[in-house]
Amino acid sequence: MKEQLQKDFNNIIKDFSLSQKDIEIKKFFLDNFINRGFPNKKEEDWKFSDLNQIIRKNIGELSFYSDYKSTNKVDTSIFVDGLEHNKIVFINGRIEKIDFDYEKKDQIEIIDQSETINEFNNNSLSDLNNAFTNKSFKILVKEGYQLAKPLIVYHTTNTKIWSKNINLRLDFELNKNSSLRIVDLFNDTSEKNFLNIFYNFELKENAILKNYKIDKFENKNIKYSFNNIDQEKNSISETFILSSGSNFVKNEINCNLKGKYSSAFVNGILSLNNDKHHEIRSIINHLTENTKSYQLIKSVLENSSKAAYQGKIFVNSKAQKTDGYQLSKAILLNKDSEFNAKPELEIYADDVKCSHGSASGSLNEDSIFYLMSRGLSYQQSRELLINGFLLDVVEKITDSEIKNLIKNLIGIKE
Amino acid sequence: MLKINNLNATIDNKSILKGFSLNINPGEVHAIMGPNGSGKSTLSNILSGKKGYETSGEILFEGKDLFELETEERAHKGIFLAFQYPLEIPGVNTNIFLKTSLNAIRKARGEKELDAIEFLKLVKEKSKDLKFDEDKLNRQLNVGFSGGEKKKNEILQMSLLAPKLSILDETDSGLDIDALKIVADGVNTLRDKKNSFLIITHYQRLLDYIKPDFVHVLMNGKIVKSGGPDLAIELENKGYENFN
Ligand SMILES: Nc1ncnc2c1ncn2[C@@H]1O[C@H](COP(=O)(O)OP(=O)(O)OP(=O)(O)O)[C@@H](O)[C@H]1O
Ligand SMILES: [Mg+2]
Repeated sequence: MKEQLQKDFNNIIKDFSLSQKDIEIKKFFLDNFINRGFPNKKEEDWKFSDLNQIIRKNIGELSFYSDYKSTNKVDTSIFVDGLEHNKIVFINGRIEKIDFDYEKKDQIEIIDQSETINEFNNNSLSDLNNAFTNKSFKILVKEGYQLAKPLIVYHTTNTKIWSKNINLRLDFELNKNSSLRIVDLFNDTSEKNFLNIFYNFELKENAILKNYKIDKFENKNIKYSFNNIDQEKNSISETFILSSGSNFVKNEINCNLKGKYSSAFVNGILSLNNDKHHEIRSIINHLTENTKSYQLIKSVLENSSKAAYQGKIFVNSKAQKTDGYQLSKAILLNKDSEFNAKPELEIYADDVKCSHGSASGSLNEDSIFYLMSRGLSYQQSRELLINGFLLDVVEKITDSEIKNLIKNLIGIKE
Repeated sequence: MLKINNLNATIDNKSILKGFSLNINPGEVHAIMGPNGSGKSTLSNILSGKKGYETSGEILFEGKDLFELETEERAHKGIFLAFQYPLEIPGVNTNIFLKTSLNAIRKARGEKELDAIEFLKLVKEKSKDLKFDEDKLNRQLNVGFSGGEKKKNEILQMSLLAPKLSILDETDSGLDIDALKIVADGVNTLRDKKNSFLIITHYQRLLDYIKPDFVHVLMNGKIVKSGGPDLAIELENKGYENFN
């Protein structure tokens, strides 16, 4: 692995137009990654998903080409219809378009921060990301500005891709009283690539962030997505994950509730078939008093698919009056499917309200019988029950436009 | 219409029906009474195609072997079971369920499926007849319905689907007097020369409103006595002891 990576790195770094010093920094991270390798199941955080093995089995050696040199044509047919939105378009890891056409231009700043490094996660994927990320931007929303329309980030890959691995990074700063809705929409026609995506969010006082991650379309890629969310007083973050299309996905949410009365919501659906394997890992750090977190994760697993949810609620000694809740439920449709949950509560304050729960089982046969006795086929009955099971998570989406988009995507009828 | 010959049913090595036979002709109303645990619901479930029973014997519906048909095919052919304990189905809107069900059955009968407007008109009409609170139809199926509301919802489904054979498993239990009359009206409206009913009940009272052609006593896995409406009155007065 070592020689190939170093060779590729030296080849493509020339196109990055960086200072010698920045190149040295990137080299440092490359060496770190080479030393550490991909996370494997010996690490507690990866015990349900051995990425090292998954990469080895599906991709083999990583290799990198200068995919960033020439522009890709943006295929407008992938754009979401019937919903006015701002756009960021990534194609094969290259940022092709940033457009905030629906917004007041002086209220949003787009800052090139390609030279800054990400330090929010110290796993080896963060090293890999720091070593290979080309352009990276920070979107800054100014004080008091609430974006009129959502931002859809299109993550597109196609068969023209050369590199086996894509590293992306986006930062967002939401200043006081501002708000932003982001939809991450994955659209892959490439096969067996590894996408390694890092987002960092800074939410200032009263800021509201809604991030909806939609991985719905069938594809054979492998993805890791990491969100760091720092929250000041009264800010709200809402994260919703629809995890379904890719072969492997691990979504990690790391949320720091630093300001009083800040709150974080993490809801998600893992809907998997075949031998897909997806995981949601969340860490909510309650770092001051009167903060709140709420998490609801539901899984529907067919064939020999696997899902895991590791949810941690950490409450430090200052964080009195913390309200932390997490629940996960899974339906196993096949005896070969598997669901793993590892809830963790780590609490150092005494006046807190925290709870967690996890349940998994098969579809209720009596309910199926009831529906079939009314003339519905087995398939129809199953679909109604599954959609019914998922409905309450979908209903947690507070943005009605995007809720409808997601309902349509998963086939829930009104 | 329905011919049951020497039906035996076992679940978990427990023998429940032992040589049960019954014949229902088109247009007839049969009532079955029997002590708790005698197998009345088991019989209803088997007629509707619930899995998990070991069975032998014969059941013919309009000459066809029922065991060859899946649950939904039986529904398509006109068999309806009003459940003793209707299930709560979280997340499933009652109206959407009713429309899916009605259209599945209409399709199987070769009738045109109803669009949303036609369906709503029909369901409105039927709910009104049954004094069923229409707002409930926008709620999740049976979730948070009272016991009586669940039973009424079963009868609403029956009147929407207009089955040939309706099996009412203790639909009267838990209904107040007014609701009882409404449910009986629902049955009587559907009653004609072609449609038949199998009514399972513990109380003679329902049979004041729905006059049965036959009353049967189910004990020890089979029918131990059959008679007319008077048999129900006799049972009410004397209990099951005499039949042992
Ligand atoms: N799944 C099952 N496993 C084991 N025993 C069962 C099962 N289902 C029913 N039984 C038993 O079969 C017998 C008949 O039950 P069934 O529900 O048919 O009675 P019933 O006549 O409808 O009674 P009730 O008047 O109380 O409704 C009972 O003893 C019951 O405990
Ligand atoms: Mg019963």
